[in-house]
Amino acid sequence: MRQSRLSKAALAACGVLLALVILLPFLWALSASLQTELALFRRPPNWTPNPPSLENYMYVFTGQVPHAYAVRGLLRSPITQEARLLPIGLVNSLEVALSVVALNLLLGTLASYTFARERFRGREAAYVFILGSRLLPAMAVAIPIFLIIKTLDLLDTKLGLVLIYSAFTLPFTIWVLTLYFRSLPKDIEEAALVDGCNRLGALRHVVLPLAAPGLAAIAAFSFLFSYDEFVFALLITSSTESKTVPVMVAAISVNPDASYTLIAVGIVVSVLAPIGLAVVFRRFITSGLVASMGRT
Amino acid sequence: MSARTDAKSIWAARGAGSSTAYRLATLTPVLVLVAVFTLFPFAFAAVTSTRQMLLTLPDQTPFIGLQNYVDVLRDASTQNAIRNSLVFTLLTVPCVTVIGLAVALLLNQQIRGFGILRALVLLPWAIPLVSAGIIWRLLLHGDFGALNGLLLQLGAVHGYVPWLSSPSTAMYSVVVAHIWREFPLPAILFLAGLQLIPGEVVDASRVDGAGLWARFRNITLPYLKAPLLIVLIYETMISVSVFDLVYVLTGGGPGSSTTLFSWDAYATTFTFLNLGQGAALSFIMAAFLLVLIVAYLRIVRVDEGEA
Repeated sequence: MRQSRLSKAALAACGVLLALVILLPFLWALSASLQTELALFRRPPNWTPNPPSLENYMYVFTGQVPHAYAVRGLLRSPITQEARLLPIGLVNSLEVALSVVALNLLLGTLASYTFARERFRGREAAYVFILGSRLLPAMAVAIPIFLIIKTLDLLDTKLGLVLIYSAFTLPFTIWVLTLYFRSLPKDIEEAALVDGCNRLGALRHVVLPLAAPGLAAIAAFSFLFSYDEFVFALLITSSTESKTVPVMVAAISVNPDASYTLIAVGIVVSVLAPIGLAVVFRRFITSGLVASMGRT
Repeated sequence: MSARTDAKSIWAARGAGSSTAYRLATLTPVLVLVAVFTLFPFAFAAVTSTRQMLLTLPDQTPFIGLQNYVDVLRDASTQNAIRNSLVFTLLTVPCVTVIGLAVALLLNQQIRGFGILRALVLLPWAIPLVSAGIIWRLLLHGDFGALNGLLLQLGAVHGYVPWLSSPSTAMYSVVVAHIWREFPLPAILFLAGLQLIPGEVVDASRVDGAGLWARFRNITLPYLKAPLLIVLIYETMISVSVFDLVYVLTGGGPGSSTTLFSWDAYATTFTFLNLGQGAALSFIMAAFLLVLIVAYLRIVRVDEGEA
């Protein structure tokens, strides 16, 4: 049975509508970032930058003050110094996120393989504990964790963030990888063991190559979680030493003196890495999400 | 049978002697890390919440039993925050679920170009929540919001409406931004559920003359029962603990009209510097969420057992 042409057209129209709902907010931020503040304040605003100007980006990355701000008048003169810190925040964010990914790949793989293949007392309890903790939202424990980090003397350090984010991503990683390892056939590993490989050797030479899609998924998850996280970053960072992009962008946006075009630049800068990752890793993210949210 | 026993003995033989050490070495780092940042905070909050702890009086932290809980629960601002969180959750969870389901049904259609759409749908979910909030700030702002410009151009309004700073619309603004951010996850989960429905079943019911609604109720919905429960519980947890959006969109205001529970806990601790009461609030929230987590795990684990 084939769908009628009419219903196909209606469905395609719904698809276009969905694409617009998703994309228009992004495109507006992009458009605003390429405009002068004056153009943004027209009612209605210029929908497309005319002409597009990279001056706002130049200011953020080189410190060169946009021409528009030299003109006085309707414009509020202050431009946000904080916007100049965005490149540093971007580096901090990437350093923290990549460290968390590395820890997840190392510790997560080892622990998941043990959960998947070994039988021992307390295994079930440890597993359920790890699964349960994965769901605890940040805000529920944020205040005590702030006090713990303060006690450990790790306030305003990237290490503090890496530890917290690893603790919050590892349960997720272990859940996904344990399911993944269990789904792999045991006999190849057994053959490797017979051939004199030890547990670690079998993991490295046999299991990991087979589990590459699962590893890609958990790398993407732990990256996105660490890159996107805000509550802990807000609480424990206080200087360019450790401030991440979300904290900086939020600071710019809630500053009543901030220029709106620079806020738009902040949005664009902050979403590039996750969007790129989501597009490239799409398949792994989708299958990982489905596996991790329960065997549906 | 014998091959199986052989295999088992190989695992056992290889594991013998070194296996306890191996397990400890592979599990301890993770268990310690997770315990320090989940169990310990729980205990920490429990202890802190029974003390009078004001950052303004750092040397005097007497034990006061459940007084902090009594105080915060009696406090009008907590009651307001609970009410707001309840309204927020009741508005967002059904919307996110229904929209997610509708999007999944749409994406499940075999239409050219929908492959791109399945990739696009991840975007609002992948970006930092803070960025999603600020994107909506650019859209809804009372001075330069794009929505205002659009409505003005269409002649729907005569002047700009301060969506975010008027008490009657601020909550709905946060709700809309939250829905935009959250619908991708349910959409992906539902889509995965839909793809498990065997094509023959659908075709057979079509031949039998089942209408669109009958097919949805009798075939689609039963297949989506597990993801539906998971989405409802998970999205409730997300809505109850939402914080980032409030931070960048409204700051809990105007007045206290968008002060959600997590914002209240944050403000109590970091604005009013009352650590004891802040801990009591976060403990109440964590305990409430724990109930949901247990329910969630039961569903997922039962489901896994059946698979």
